[in-house]
Amino acid sequence: MSAFLEYLLSGIAVGCGFALLASGLVVIHRVTQVVNFAQGMFAVVAGLTAGSLLSAGLPHGVAELAAVAVAGLTGLLVGLIATGRPGTSPLSALIVTLGLGFLAYAIEIMVWDDNPHSFAGLGGAVTIAGARIQRQSFLVIVVAAVVFALLAVFFGRTYLGKALSACASNPYAARAVGIDVTRMGLIAFALGGVLGGAAGVLLTPLQPISYNSDVLLITNGFAAAVLGGLTRPGVALAGALTLGVAEAMVAGYYEASYQTVVALALMLTIMVWRASRRTTLQEEAAR
Amino acid sequence: MKRSLAARPSAGLVTAVVVAVAAVLAPVLLQGSQVSVYVLLLLAATVVTGLSMLMGYAGQVSLGQGSFYLIGAYTAALIATHGMPTWLGLLAAPVAAAGIAALVGVPLLRLRGHQLAFATLAIQLILLSLAGRQEWAGGDIGLQGVPRLEIAGYEFAGDASYAYLALGALALVALITRNVVASRPGRGLRALATSEVAAASSGVPVPAYKQAVFSLSAGYAGLAGGIYAFYIGYVAPGSFPVLQSFEYVVMVAVGGAGTVWGALAGATAITLLIQLLNNVGTMDGMPAAAPTVLSYAVYGALLILSVLFLPRGLAPSVAAWWERRAARRRPPPGDSSVPSPHDLAGTPS
Repeated sequence: MSAFLEYLLSGIAVGCGFALLASGLVVIHRVTQVVNFAQGMFAVVAGLTAGSLLSAGLPHGVAELAAVAVAGLTGLLVGLIATGRPGTSPLSALIVTLGLGFLAYAIEIMVWDDNPHSFAGLGGAVTIAGARIQRQSFLVIVVAAVVFALLAVFFGRTYLGKALSACASNPYAARAVGIDVTRMGLIAFALGGVLGGAAGVLLTPLQPISYNSDVLLITNGFAAAVLGGLTRPGVALAGALTLGVAEAMVAGYYEASYQTVVALALMLTIMVWRASRRTTLQEEAAR
Repeated sequence: MKRSLAARPSAGLVTAVVVAVAAVLAPVLLQGSQVSVYVLLLLAATVVTGLSMLMGYAGQVSLGQGSFYLIGAYTAALIATHGMPTWLGLLAAPVAAAGIAALVGVPLLRLRGHQLAFATLAIQLILLSLAGRQEWAGGDIGLQGVPRLEIAGYEFAGDASYAYLALGALALVALITRNVVASRPGRGLRALATSEVAAASSGVPVPAYKQAVFSLSAGYAGLAGGIYAFYIGYVAPGSFPVLQSFEYVVMVAVGGAGTVWGALAGATAITLLIQLLNNVGTMDGMPAAAPTVLSYAVYGALLILSVLFLPRGLAPSVAAWWERRAARRRPPPGDSSVPSPHDLAGTPS
């Protein structure tokens, strides 16, 4: 029972990380229709930057926030390159973000190296009902909850958030009422960078990060986001939590090396199931 | 007018002949390790021809084409290491890859666009993870000591013989692709890439055609994988990284999707560039990570620049530029004589 609780809570913590990543994907896709393959890279950049800043002597908190800001700037840059040129289709932009991921590999290996890095998060562990749970896990859960609440307020209550939603639902109408759709796209990318960066900073103490960790991060983030059709953050959160817990259970009770297989198979099943419920006509009309 | 009409096909023909002669002479003229680069280039071009057909004609992006390369290589290696005739392994490699693609395609091809791209990537990640856990496939170490390929008593022993084998495979694949895209089903494919609904309503059997092209392109990758297994002599999960699948997409994007020439140009350009960078990166005084850093940077930069600035790819853009230049020199011909970029696909090497 204590083992179960341990797996459950660590699964939820990792799931919250995936959820932050997935919400970044959702924000960017909602506003720009672009699937951002560089989303995992934001987390890697933030995780590695935070580690370096901490070892350079910055206090906890400041270093993490600075790293998230760096990730936000990276997001802005990715958005500029991927969608800045007029007439770039979303599928072309997807391939551009893939290319930016490779460029980032080169830069990451140059700045850091190709070994996994980690840094100490919130140290220590708490024992609940016989289960030993790292305090960092609780931090991840709390921060993710706060961020999701802020996102809900941002999209529901602020003008900027509403403008972003307007671009998502009808870019033409948004332009007609004076919203700069291109700028909103860039804001979405920067916000995606911040969310990805937050995931990276929170997860690095739990699982060391290296330059090519982004493939696993993006697969998990995408798996979660695709559950809500890449448009609904709430469903993405539920998907991410399911995924995180499922992976932790597989790793705990069965074998760690099968956890990605489970995640990917789950994602494929959901995608195919969803696709079979939509007709081709609906899908082409939505394009 | 008459002269210009006669001159245009000859420009394409001359290029084709030059490329073909160079390709046949290359194994004799190249030395040592250059031949093995050439063999890998030909194998990549074989895979890329299939992917280019899938992307350019059927409009489907596969980020996991390497998984069919892996299936072909493992099939050939398993058959050969179990004492069965090696030619059987070579035959079985494309068949197994195409067969598995047909099976996987049933659920997968319901997806389109970014979803299909992601799903194919997932398939490869799953396959790599599973291959590393199977006893009978040698686990993470893989299958060692694959015997040399032997067909009707002739043993493919040297690098040059594999170069000709790979060249033959590429020629076969280019010929099949050319005939497929020039046929009535080929036109149906082009139609479904634009709009599946419109294609279906004009009588194109959309799911069947998508399946067929997906399987065919997987078969090409399987064939290349089979030759790879015999040439290198061992297969392991580590030989088929996800990066390789991305590399094929880069080659298609740089060369130009939907043409055989584009596939050849893309595969050649990227392979040579990576080789060059590898040589630069391993020079004295370079840091140990230099080759990796350089190749990642170049993949990324090429992919971004070609998608943004050469959206049609190298081969079609060069051909269009050549056409414009030629058109400026002669009096404007009738509109019907301006060839579409797809006409270039009609010339195999």
